[in-house]
Amino acid sequence: MNAVALLLADSRFPAGGYAHSLGLEQAVADGLGPGGVAPFIAARLRLVARPEAALSVAALRAAHDDDALAELDDEHAARCPSPVLRDVARRLGAQLLRSAATAWPDPAIERYRSASSSTPRPVALGVVAAAGGLDDVEVATVALYDDAATVASAALKLLGLDPAETARWLAQLAPAIDAAACEVAGDERPVAEQPPPAAVGLELAAARHAERTERFFVS
Amino acid sequence: MPSARSGSLSAERALRIGVGGPVGSGKSSLIAALCRELARDVRVGVVTNDIYTTEDAQFLRATGVLAPERIVAVQTGCCPHTAIRDDITINLEAVEELERGQGPLELVLVESGGDNLTAVFSPALADVQVFVIDVAGGDDIPRKGGPGIARADLLVINKTDLAPFVGSDVERMVADATARRGTLPVLALSLARPPYARAVGEWVRARLRTFADEGHLHSSVVGTSHPHSHPH
Repeated sequence: MNAVALLLADSRFPAGGYAHSLGLEQAVADGLGPGGVAPFIAARLRLVARPEAALSVAALRAAHDDDALAELDDEHAARCPSPVLRDVARRLGAQLLRSAATAWPDPAIERYRSASSSTPRPVALGVVAAAGGLDDVEVATVALYDDAATVASAALKLLGLDPAETARWLAQLAPAIDAAACEVAGDERPVAEQPPPAAVGLELAAARHAERTERFFVS
Repeated sequence: MPSARSGSLSAERALRIGVGGPVGSGKSSLIAALCRELARDVRVGVVTNDIYTTEDAQFLRATGVLAPERIVAVQTGCCPHTAIRDDITINLEAVEELERGQGPLELVLVESGGDNLTAVFSPALADVQVFVIDVAGGDDIPRKGGPGIARADLLVINKTDLAPFVGSDVERMVADATARRGTLPVLALSLARPPYARAVGEWVRARLRTFADEGHLHSSVVGTSHPHSHPH
């Protein structure tokens, strides 16, 4: 247990996550009902959040190596073919870095913030976690939990659910999050050799969501 | 540049004025009227915080008072008050992107999503802020108070032309508001009748002059409970 990890996972930390549903808003528009949200979160965990957490772990390890961080930026772009989702990642990363630069006066944050043109959130999270002193398992846990909690929080606004019910989904998913965090942290392969995100449906839906004129969420 | 990026006050960027208030009180109309008053000689940009549609941004673009690319909309995930007070990163990014793309600008107006009476802008987002209420929302609103009514740098009471039809007493509203606000200004007006927003435009021009001369403004929202605690 680490208070900095709690701070980074806390939706009260100002990083703009509350304005994102991570694909849930479009999924609901396409017919997903309350019973589909927990499976949606679990699928994101496997197919999107876990590969992204691997990037965060790699960025944590490379937080003081500018060239390695630039390579991780490229790796994120290569793994995220959707320009809409790349832009979402850039914005979320920029927002995290903005607040983190004030919260942790570590020059590595400001250096990455000005050097990177794409600031994808998974890489930004690793840089910030390094400044906060997190270890590999902790940053992976934060990355995975944040993904799940962001969707669960959006579900309350989109589907009118009992908030204790969405908390139950997260509680039930906690062992899987912990296990995935340990696996990601224990994977010593370079990110390029690890499985990429594999959620083509989300990538296609993100483009349709971005074109809608009526929406609550950025993504 | 680092000081502007971290959100602290600096004359190297545009003056940022927040416009808040309940749904339907006339925030978008006030911004459109202000653009008509100012845009001829002041470089203005607008960031709207739409609740569900991009209606506010489209309304402003349709008025033709500003080039469409000077108006940007952000989505706030059903959290309009969060986006202007607790987690302002989305708006700060939008304001800075607008200034980078369309700059240099002298004034950026940030319109909050319509919210309740408790929403105020963080001083890290808005140098000064205007709170807009209207006579049709009930003439007891100034008496009910709240941070926007009591502490906003300017309180606008809109739709005075409707007062006889909705049974509101404008003089009483101004008196109640003044009792809460002390020396802070209150303007009662109708954006549907001349002279429209001229008085608000004059207030904004005075803020622009001070900001240009001194590089920062003192907001009445900052440090109300601890008057000497804010850093400069």
